[in-house]
Amino acid sequence: MVYIDDIRLPNMHFAGILRSPHPHARIVSIDLTRARRAEGVEFALTGAEAAEHTDPIPHFISPLAFGGKSTDVRCLALGKVVYAGEPVAAVVADSRQNAEAAIELIDVEYEPLPFVIDGDEALAADAPRLYEDWDDNVVIQIPFGGGDPAAAFADAEHVIEDELQIQRYSTQPIEPRGYIADWDKSARSYTFYGASQNPHPLKWVLSRALRVKESQVRVIAPAVGGAFGLKMHGHPEESLVCLLSRLSGKPVKWIEDRSETLLIGAREQTHRFKVGFNSQGKISALKDHFVANVGALGAPPGWGMAFLTGMSIPTGYKIENVDVLVTVATTNKSPWNAARGYGKEATNLVMERIIDLVARSLDMDPVEVRRRNLIESHEFPYKTTGGLNIDSGDYHAALDKAVEMIGLDDVRAEQMRLLQEGRHLGVGFAFELTPESGDIPGTLVGGFDTSTVKMSPSGEVTVLTGVTTPGGGNDTSILQIVVDELGVTMADASILQGDTLTTPYGFGNYSGRSMVTGGNAAYLAACDIRVKLVEVASRILETDNTDVELGGGFARRISDPSRSIPIADVAYTIYTLAFATATGVEPPLESTRTYLPGNIQQTPDADGRINIYPTYSNAVHVAIVEVDIETGKVDLQRYGVVHDCGTIINPRFVEGQMEGAIAMGVGAALMEHSIHDPETGVLTTNGFKSYLMPRASDLPMIETMHQVTPSPYTALGLKGAGEAGIGGAQAAVSNAVHNALAPLDITIRKMPLSPGTVLHAIKYREKELKK
Amino acid sequence: MTTHEGVGINVTVNGESRDAIIDVRETLVDFIRVDLGLTGTHVGCRTGDCGACTVTVDGEVVKSCLALGVSADKAEIRTIEGFAESSEHLSIIQTAFWEEFGFQCGYCLPGMLFCTEELLKKNPDPSEAEIREAIDGNLCRCTGYHGIIRAVRRAAEETSQAQREKDELRDEEVWARPGERVDRALRGRESES
Repeated sequence: MVYIDDIRLPNMHFAGILRSPHPHARIVSIDLTRARRAEGVEFALTGAEAAEHTDPIPHFISPLAFGGKSTDVRCLALGKVVYAGEPVAAVVADSRQNAEAAIELIDVEYEPLPFVIDGDEALAADAPRLYEDWDDNVVIQIPFGGGDPAAAFADAEHVIEDELQIQRYSTQPIEPRGYIADWDKSARSYTFYGASQNPHPLKWVLSRALRVKESQVRVIAPAVGGAFGLKMHGHPEESLVCLLSRLSGKPVKWIEDRSETLLIGAREQTHRFKVGFNSQGKISALKDHFVANVGALGAPPGWGMAFLTGMSIPTGYKIENVDVLVTVATTNKSPWNAARGYGKEATNLVMERIIDLVARSLDMDPVEVRRRNLIESHEFPYKTTGGLNIDSGDYHAALDKAVEMIGLDDVRAEQMRLLQEGRHLGVGFAFELTPESGDIPGTLVGGFDTSTVKMSPSGEVTVLTGVTTPGGGNDTSILQIVVDELGVTMADASILQGDTLTTPYGFGNYSGRSMVTGGNAAYLAACDIRVKLVEVASRILETDNTDVELGGGFARRISDPSRSIPIADVAYTIYTLAFATATGVEPPLESTRTYLPGNIQQTPDADGRINIYPTYSNAVHVAIVEVDIETGKVDLQRYGVVHDCGTIINPRFVEGQMEGAIAMGVGAALMEHSIHDPETGVLTTNGFKSYLMPRASDLPMIETMHQVTPSPYTALGLKGAGEAGIGGAQAAVSNAVHNALAPLDITIRKMPLSPGTVLHAIKYREKELKK
Repeated sequence: MTTHEGVGINVTVNGESRDAIIDVRETLVDFIRVDLGLTGTHVGCRTGDCGACTVTVDGEVVKSCLALGVSADKAEIRTIEGFAESSEHLSIIQTAFWEEFGFQCGYCLPGMLFCTEELLKKNPDPSEAEIREAIDGNLCRCTGYHGIIRAVRRAAEETSQAQREKDELRDEEVWARPGERVDRALRGRESES
């Protein structure tokens, strides 16, 4: 495996980036004199100089496309900084150590400005404004919903109102970001190596920002050490290292420090909701107005997460009267990037907390409330008020399986027994809907992808695909589809991804799409080749082409398996006897196909709704926790999940995706939290000693069960795997903690449920009960 | 690389003696990766929290981002490139990680392998809780540790099995004539295939 930091080019130099210590300040002056004289330094650059050579970085998803506001994002700050950590100046030196030492010698004079880091405060009329040409700090405000919520609330037997604050947290793959740019002066072109999920769209972004043609940029993505959305592009460092290479005349490498990775935010939202329901637990009305604090507006696709949180409400529940309002607020925190779940994790958390609150207020079994509100299997396809056209599933069967898997009756009996001893065991359920394989109209977030399959005269198979792998195994799974179709062995097949010069144009990796799009496209291309192989094999084997099967490297007669020929010989025949045995079969053995899944609706319907997702994976999660009410510590004891991602190509990879996502969701529920100092506006959780992620001892084994309801809208019935698990785990654990604390009747409105937060809630409640 | 106050050191890396002049500011992990070109050792945090840079120094598991390169003078270093006995065959531990999907992106894998080796040396039959404790210093963000735990268990079982077979063979050496031993070994191989 060669990762970005393993690549060394001849005469390679290193970039050092100076970042703003202020959350909001005017840059009065920058003096590079001392830095330029420092040991090993070749070159140094300010934002004003960079702006002479570059244009703003195109937004991955421009808010303008949805009626919102936008701003220019540059590779180095120009005039003022809007978050602590914003790149201000850069150096190129002959070693990482010298580059890091030199940035300390850059003299910047700042004029600090008032700042705001709280989402609600940013919406106040007198709040400090990030962008002077905006009349407030709102990127966009979008409503979703349908029916008649006002009437439904008026008619509802019961109404609950509550609030849930979801913390800022992020994905943090163990490999940080890194880029190498190599400007070839004579060819006037860049070769850009980067840990990137989307090499082709990144090529377009670099060409725009660097004022060159797309043909002057080649992007190569080496092996990626985990991505989870973080390695989608728009980051200032991408175009910055390119510019540094051109201006310094050296190949330039930049590898992110963990404190820099931790700057990249995601997911912070405050939901204020209201739910109307009857005494049987049937929900008739839902209102959720929420504010997403996206930090400063960055060029990566982060802010779009909030959009999809709103669109995905009310997940797989049949609620006809819905009023959702999404407010995307900018503050002086660092920008978001995409994070696995892409906003849908927040929807699942909020919906599942709502279901448990309804159950608790009626003193009903939360499983039963879910059963009474989930879409039934005969009702698919089902169009939600948000516009999603949910393809298929059997949510009730999945729920039953989860109840059985965990042995719910025994767990509840144990819970009662332990409570007698003063111990607080809790069990929590969560239904999770994960719309997958999205397509955002008017952006390079495409819903389709393209693969090429080739077979050489020696029978070797090469797959080239526009989707990329972040390390989850889609490369192997795509190969598996092709190998099965062509009847060859894995040893005769290889796959190439991530190089814009060799692979067909594609959108890369996001939205659990790689198998649905790249996998299906490879399947279609393999089918084309199979037809040719079977035709020529039938001629060699002197039989009808319906009497030929391919397998184990051979083509053989179905009627007489002793008559067979190596597939390699069939391939050789096609290339060498094109005017005899293989006549009429067009060489080469090569096909490029695109897979466009069904069900995507880019044109708005009569209610203005679009459907950006073809398929909808779903899952039921169940967590068992014990809460120590003396310390507030939550011990996750058991975890089960029933997962339905349609047809499964490789169960081990699907389980691996789910297990990893659940671990992230558990982290989100219990510990992960990016915290800014309210006094200074600076991120305090800037390393793994303060930003806590689950370690092995924090987790139990994860019990997984598959349910398969193939999607009617994709060729192989795939629904996509990879994003599911975050919201489900966060919700199941949160519901379990609340179930454990039910005897105290506690509702915690701030995530994560860290020991401090839980203990504070317990102490507060004890005080209340004493009164 | 500029030799900012360059200092000469000698280390034995994966059994091979290496002389180097290194920048005194350079950490051990950068020395291993940049100067020695052994890029199987990874960098995830540079603060000793993630374990991606795990190697052994004089037989002890060490996070190489927390040590300076100069401190390794005269030490014996083992990196992932020297983990298996030969480059042709994976070790029992590596095979167990492969079979049990004990990794996804591969970035944390070298550190996990060294922790497993150390655990099994001290405790050939670890419980799930003991395995979790042993790898607690190493972060994995892809697997939820699920496949890793299974892999360590499998490695433990297969290491014990290999040890038992070795012991049996040793017992046989006492009793069997050389020709018979060869026969038996061949028979064993046939029954496997």
